[in-house]
Amino acid sequence: MAKIIGIDLGTTNSCVAVMEGGSPKVIHSAEGRNVIPSVVDPIKRVVGDVAKRQIVINPKSTIFSIKRLMGRKFNDKSVQQDMKWLPYTIKSGRDGMAVVEVGGKTFTPQEISAMILQKIKADAESYLGEKVSEAVITVPAYFDDSQRQATKQAGEIAGLEVKRILNEPTAAALAYGLDKKHAHTVAVYDLGGGTFDISVLELGEGVYEVKATNGDTHLGGDDFDKVILDHLADEFKKENGVDLRKDSQALQRLRDAAEKAKIELSTSLEADINLPFITQGKEGPLHLVTKLSRSKLESLVGDLIDKTIAPVEACLKDAKITKDKIDEIVMVGGMTRMPKVFEVVKNFFGKEPNRSVNPDEVVAIGAAVQAGVLTGEVKDVVLLDVTPLTLGVETLGGVSTPLITRNTTVPTSKSEVFSTAADNQTSVEINVLQGERPMAADNKSLGRFILSGIPPAPRGVPQVEVMFDIDANGILNVHAKDKATGKSQSIRITSSTGLSKDEIEKMTKEAEAHASEDTEKKDKIEARNKADNMIYVAEKSLKDAGDKVSADVKKEVEEKVKALKDVLETGSKEDLETKTSDLSNSLQKIGQAMYQGQGQQGPNTPPGQEPPKEEGNGEKKKKDDKKEAVEGEVVS
Amino acid sequence: MIFMLKKTDTNKEIADLKNQIEDLTNKWKRALADYQNLEKRTVARITDSAKYSAENIIIKLLPVLDTLEQAEKHIKDQGLALAISSFKDVLKSEGVEKVEVLGKKFEPREMEAIEVQASDKEDEVIEELRPGYRLGEKVIRVAQVKVSKKIKYKEE
Repeated sequence: MAKIIGIDLGTTNSCVAVMEGGSPKVIHSAEGRNVIPSVVDPIKRVVGDVAKRQIVINPKSTIFSIKRLMGRKFNDKSVQQDMKWLPYTIKSGRDGMAVVEVGGKTFTPQEISAMILQKIKADAESYLGEKVSEAVITVPAYFDDSQRQATKQAGEIAGLEVKRILNEPTAAALAYGLDKKHAHTVAVYDLGGGTFDISVLELGEGVYEVKATNGDTHLGGDDFDKVILDHLADEFKKENGVDLRKDSQALQRLRDAAEKAKIELSTSLEADINLPFITQGKEGPLHLVTKLSRSKLESLVGDLIDKTIAPVEACLKDAKITKDKIDEIVMVGGMTRMPKVFEVVKNFFGKEPNRSVNPDEVVAIGAAVQAGVLTGEVKDVVLLDVTPLTLGVETLGGVSTPLITRNTTVPTSKSEVFSTAADNQTSVEINVLQGERPMAADNKSLGRFILSGIPPAPRGVPQVEVMFDIDANGILNVHAKDKATGKSQSIRITSSTGLSKDEIEKMTKEAEAHASEDTEKKDKIEARNKADNMIYVAEKSLKDAGDKVSADVKKEVEEKVKALKDVLETGSKEDLETKTSDLSNSLQKIGQAMYQGQGQQGPNTPPGQEPPKEEGNGEKKKKDDKKEAVEGEVVS
Repeated sequence: MIFMLKKTDTNKEIADLKNQIEDLTNKWKRALADYQNLEKRTVARITDSAKYSAENIIIKLLPVLDTLEQAEKHIKDQGLALAISSFKDVLKSEGVEKVEVLGKKFEPREMEAIEVQASDKEDEVIEELRPGYRLGEKVIRVAQVKVSKKIKYKEE
């Protein structure tokens, strides 16, 4: 089934995403990047980073910001203004539409955009491994009919049937699933590389309608970078008397460093800027070594951020709405990662904006969601649940043994074999637990049942298979079966995923908070279980060996058993461990004695040489070995 | 009459169920296809990441090499030169190769033009401002270069 891709055809960068397995996924370019610079050399037919790299040598044939010309007349005021700073040639084409001229040929903005779309299409095809022929493309909310038409044509030239032209702010709201949350009024704050847009959306009849839109077509990340660059260059000039902006190589390094520092300051409070050998001074090479703090950056760009507020206010006014009526705010564009931008927006609306989706990708993701709706993939998509918490059973010593770990996608099932903890135990209790804590008592018990009728046997011998199965509806079936008799018992728990979000959060947080004391507790119980098992093995071995062991050895083992028994309930983990290994060492003497008595009968493993395992299987095997040894005995 | 009604209902039910089966089959196929594709891609990604696991750390080391080379140019110290050459030997053993640019025609796939200089030659690299490197087939960092240009645009 053919996929429809979602494309954010941006002024500075473009991005593409597709629905996969019910969730949107951003497709990386052949160069391994999540966005493609919207830059084209139509003569050489190169697009993206490759085109961007040759912009200095071919300033007149490298086209960027083509979106500013899409579907516009040459005489448009905005075109006339953009002509002043765009280095390539813009002319009046058919019907007075703006076109670009490169190397004597004219290209419509549609044709240039189509080259970007072709690259996107090729990248998507190589990712998906199948032909792509349909797309949803986003446009700014303020695009008029002619601009939308032009965007559609660009798609067609690139061999893509444009199934829907979607407003960028609507796409962002879809990416956050706000329609599903029934958020009625949504503000979308989009501060990208070169433009700022603010839109107010209203949900009506299940679709978002743009109530008002505003912005600044020449305000974005590039302006922020320039302010930082100027600051660094000015400082350097003050100190060294050299203007780095006059040295193109130094300027390039400074530009990269300014952008890097800006990005770094979104997560840290201070950025080091080290550009050794940045330029040549009168007395040898000069180095740029400085620090930029977040507060300094914020004071530098404060004016730029404040410039976004007036359009926001105007937009609210046009929408005839007050800011307290906004249900949700969505952040779009790389610049919204800057903590100060987030803070300003948050303070203005008095509400926490949504920013969990990557702001560079959020529009493309929303376009992919829309595409998914069109293919029917999203409409009643099987929302596969995950188990929010770990599910397990209680085992010896009150330990919670996990069977299905948290965040496992359901439906799923898992089984494990357990055994009995005591000799001649004929029933086991299955206590079904939910939670992250290692001790059963700290987790929630979802239910319990008893499997009885297990034939009497030494401990560790019976094999009880416990199976957990969660179906697509989140219903948990726990099934316990005694492998020897085939007897089984089960329980059905309907509330395994029915916890509220708060409950899940609380349980997860508790688990984190108690992690270290819990591990300690669990380790101690494990040590105790081992000790208990060792005592059992020792007593059994003594009994089996009868008078084949010398009184000395017997006494030694008995003493050690007693010593271990004394500390079993009260001893520390270390104490238990040393006494267990003491006993294990003495126990080997029994084995030696038995083999000596037995002569050269065969290289059987002496019992007790390995630390006994809790698994039924291992233990059973060892017992068989022992039996053999007894049968082959020669009374001396 | 009742019989008729029932029969119609059954037909409708059958039709509904058939639709449902078709719908579910489609969805199941789609999920299966997505899964298989994911599997293929995961295998490809693991192969890739094994191949280029060193890439990230190498990219971070390259600016250090740049600085050392620049320092060497100024200080002209033999010890430093030796240190640089052993640094480069390590990179070479990891499959890192320098992109040769000087005197070549400008190629935006492996170079980024920083500066243009008028000359009688067109699009030729006349100076390497920052070396570029390749890891295997892949260009991990483009070279930054100064390019010659014949002045030919009439309007300039």
